[in-house]
Amino acid sequence: MRGVIDRHPFWSAVIFVVAAVLVWMIFAVWPDWLKDLIGRKKVFLNALFNGVTLGGLYFLVASGFTLIFGLMRNVNLAHGSLYLLGGYVGYVAAEVTGLWLLAFPVAFILVAAFGILLQFFVFRRMEGQDLRQTLVTIGISIVMADLMLWIWGGDFYNITPPEWLSGPMTTFFVTTVKRSGDLVFLKYPLVRIVIFAASVVVGIGMWLLLNRTRIGMLIRAGVDDRDMLSATGARIQLVFVGVFAFGAGLAGVAGVVGGTFQSLAPGEDVRFLLASLVVVIVGGMGSIPGAALGALIIGLAEQFGSVYFPTYAVVLTFLIMVAVLAFRPQGLMGRS
Amino acid sequence: MNAPARISRRLGASGTANALELRGVSKLFGALVALEDIDITVRPGERRAVLGSNGAGKTTLFNCITGDFRASAGSIRFFGEDISTFPPHERIRRGLRRTYQISLLFAGLSVLDNIYLACVGVSRRRFSFLRPRRDDSLMAAAGELVEMVHLDADRDTLVSNLSYGQQRQLEIAMALSGAPRFILFDEPAAGLSPSERGDLVEILNGLPAHMGYIIIEHDMDVALRVAESVTMMHNGRIFREGKPAEIEQDPEVQALYLGGGDG
Amino acid sequence: MALADNRLASDGRDRPTWFERVPPAYWVGGFLLLVMPSFASDFILFQIFGWTFILGIIALSLMFLAGYGGMVSLAQMTFAGCAGYMVAIFGTSAITDISLGWPWFVAIPLALIVAVLLGTLTGWLAVRTEGIYTIMITLAIAAAFFYFTRQNYVIFNGFSGFNGVLPPQLFGVDWRGSTAFYYLTLFWAALCYFAVLYISRAPFGLALQGIRDNQRRMSALGFNAIAHRVAAYAFAALLAGIGGILLTWQSAQISPGTAGIGAAIDILVVAVIGGLRHPIGAFIGAFIYVILKTFALDALEAIGLAGERFQLLIGLGFLLIVFWSPDGVLGLWARWRESRSRDPLLERGGERP
Repeated sequence: MRGVIDRHPFWSAVIFVVAAVLVWMIFAVWPDWLKDLIGRKKVFLNALFNGVTLGGLYFLVASGFTLIFGLMRNVNLAHGSLYLLGGYVGYVAAEVTGLWLLAFPVAFILVAAFGILLQFFVFRRMEGQDLRQTLVTIGISIVMADLMLWIWGGDFYNITPPEWLSGPMTTFFVTTVKRSGDLVFLKYPLVRIVIFAASVVVGIGMWLLLNRTRIGMLIRAGVDDRDMLSATGARIQLVFVGVFAFGAGLAGVAGVVGGTFQSLAPGEDVRFLLASLVVVIVGGMGSIPGAALGALIIGLAEQFGSVYFPTYAVVLTFLIMVAVLAFRPQGLMGRS
Repeated sequence: MNAPARISRRLGASGTANALELRGVSKLFGALVALEDIDITVRPGERRAVLGSNGAGKTTLFNCITGDFRASAGSIRFFGEDISTFPPHERIRRGLRRTYQISLLFAGLSVLDNIYLACVGVSRRRFSFLRPRRDDSLMAAAGELVEMVHLDADRDTLVSNLSYGQQRQLEIAMALSGAPRFILFDEPAAGLSPSERGDLVEILNGLPAHMGYIIIEHDMDVALRVAESVTMMHNGRIFREGKPAEIEQDPEVQALYLGGGDG
Repeated sequence: MALADNRLASDGRDRPTWFERVPPAYWVGGFLLLVMPSFASDFILFQIFGWTFILGIIALSLMFLAGYGGMVSLAQMTFAGCAGYMVAIFGTSAITDISLGWPWFVAIPLALIVAVLLGTLTGWLAVRTEGIYTIMITLAIAAAFFYFTRQNYVIFNGFSGFNGVLPPQLFGVDWRGSTAFYYLTLFWAALCYFAVLYISRAPFGLALQGIRDNQRRMSALGFNAIAHRVAAYAFAALLAGIGGILLTWQSAQISPGTAGIGAAIDILVVAVIGGLRHPIGAFIGAFIYVILKTFALDALEAIGLAGERFQLLIGLGFLLIVFWSPDGVLGLWARWRESRSRDPLLERGGERP
């Protein structure tokens, strides 16, 4: 940390100032001139929260993608299809059993199993053939999209969270002060907060797994030096399968989250594939912290974009990507 | 930089300056020091041999000079011009050439086409959308180079069908394309038969007098016949520099290299 | 894949004239294509062949980048769509509020220039990366263009796009008439095809293939690999732009969906099914795609499936091809010929033509 500040004193200062302003904007009661400038604080806080929680969802999808790429150099362009499949499977599980929580393990296990099949029948046969892998996964995503359209049709599906999670929760963030002097606090959907917390837990869990366990060391060593890994023998294939299953399962879980947050429909697979691509391009391929940072940036950009420049919200995210590519092609946290 | 300054620098560049001047060049790969504080000065037209055991840093030195790798520290001047930060193709366009230890040729093309490509690379025509005409000047230049390296019988042969020795000769012809001012030869004699080595020595000695070069060579016999000065490298550093005879007689060099077996 | 195997520099000695060098199959094919309107129906001319040539041109631009340059770009449909939008904006359309109504000889070159600029910019971004990254970045750029055109109403007229975009009435001919449109698209397809063939053996194309095979070596010959790749993107964007303008004229409209993500992937499918090794692959792939897209509905219903399972069919076909013949139909063809020319008694490969 200190090293970073020493090396980039200017940028560290900029980041510090921006962070300070942000903290002030979140906690202070806004003066009138600021309200005149960018509107009500409630709108701002909502955009911020939505952006952060959306970033959590993007992180869930993109972390699996980036983990698989980082370790195996497999580009899985069917990752968005895994997301949508997870969502549909979770929807069915939740509908049939009536248990929202059950949707998660069901989606995880089924999609992870599907990921194992993919790894076994596609990626292992085409080791090192990047282009063919990409083409095959594009083909798979076309086929899966049509199969899912066949089964679930073109309707929108929503996974309804249970009673105890629905409804808003009053947070401790002040939005405004009433004339009477009472403070008005921000209300925010509880389920989003819970899911965001869960994705943070997943993220930290992954980080701990990668940095504090033997298997994590093995995976990280593989990311750094693939030749070393292949020299260690056959067990590494198990690690590959495991990582692939985990990454795919994570996409499935993200599908359930997305189905609860938003909705499931044909086309969401492409949307989340693109989101993952942009997140990992911005954050740096193969880096979990990069995926977290990228997801946060893209989530915030999308939400603030849709509030403050509604016409070009999506374009904003791509502009960020272009800027990163132009000035730091390896991504913000990627190694050159 | 204003125009007069640029012109005078250009003049200085081709007039009095050294062909190649390395000052404090170092190259690190992570924690590994491949080159450490290298100073080399080569006069225009000078022919220098670089000797040293495997891993002494000779090829890394070439890679730093041509820009395949960016040097971690130090400056490289080519005929007076600081090329340290230039990308490889800019250095090549200024008259620097190199051959590779492992043949990096275009196997699906004929001998003549390989040389033609090398001629195009340093000409203005590299972006041309037009195919060469029959009286094409670059094609003619390529034809001359084919003869120079004695490959005229195989000018239309695909590179994949050439013998190893012929491929090495082709490599040299490609390095000679388009008026080079200075050439780096990376072990051109490796793997050649004795008679092919003789041809090589003949080609090198037949180069125009102004065309200096550095040659990495394991074979002392070849090196001493084509070079007027010798730089001895060891563990990424310059160990000795001098006339071939002095180097050959230096006891430390003998202990380190000449007596060291695989020479 | 090494540099293409025919030679560029075979010298003047006993070189056959170009007339003799054209294989007979070309003469037959060319003749059939020229006389097609005398016996084919309007539907076949306009829908099947017109569309095949147009898709073929756009897929050809991808073949040029991927086959010769080793860069698989998913943004080719974006360049095509951009050119289509630009003729609608600079020229005439039913959306008179936006269309500037400039004459065709201004609007068309301008449209192509804008497409080439977009292609150059995309290339400049994409060539900083390699292989897989190129695919991802061009896909992201294609998506950005799609969303931008869908959300922008001032220039791109948002979701509905432009309709009534018609070719100019040059020489008093209605170029959207089936025969005229057939010849129009045939002309441009042939021109683009031969241009790519020619350039593949010119210094630019040779250098591009050299960079694909060994970038470091090419740098050591004085080639600026980055600039070469960007220039390849620009040229490919020009091809795609030509295809895009024709596509817009064929359907007389352009909307965000024309250059959407599905369309971008379709171009990749077309090029890969045909084969990336030779420019003709783009047109073979386009023909197969168009035939499937036109007749799959009936065929699927005939075997008792719903007609909308077309995507499934295309996807499965694509999967089969990339699984078993990475060189597409051309690769299958080459293998079949090889197996036929092999003499079973001598177990020796036949002479390559």
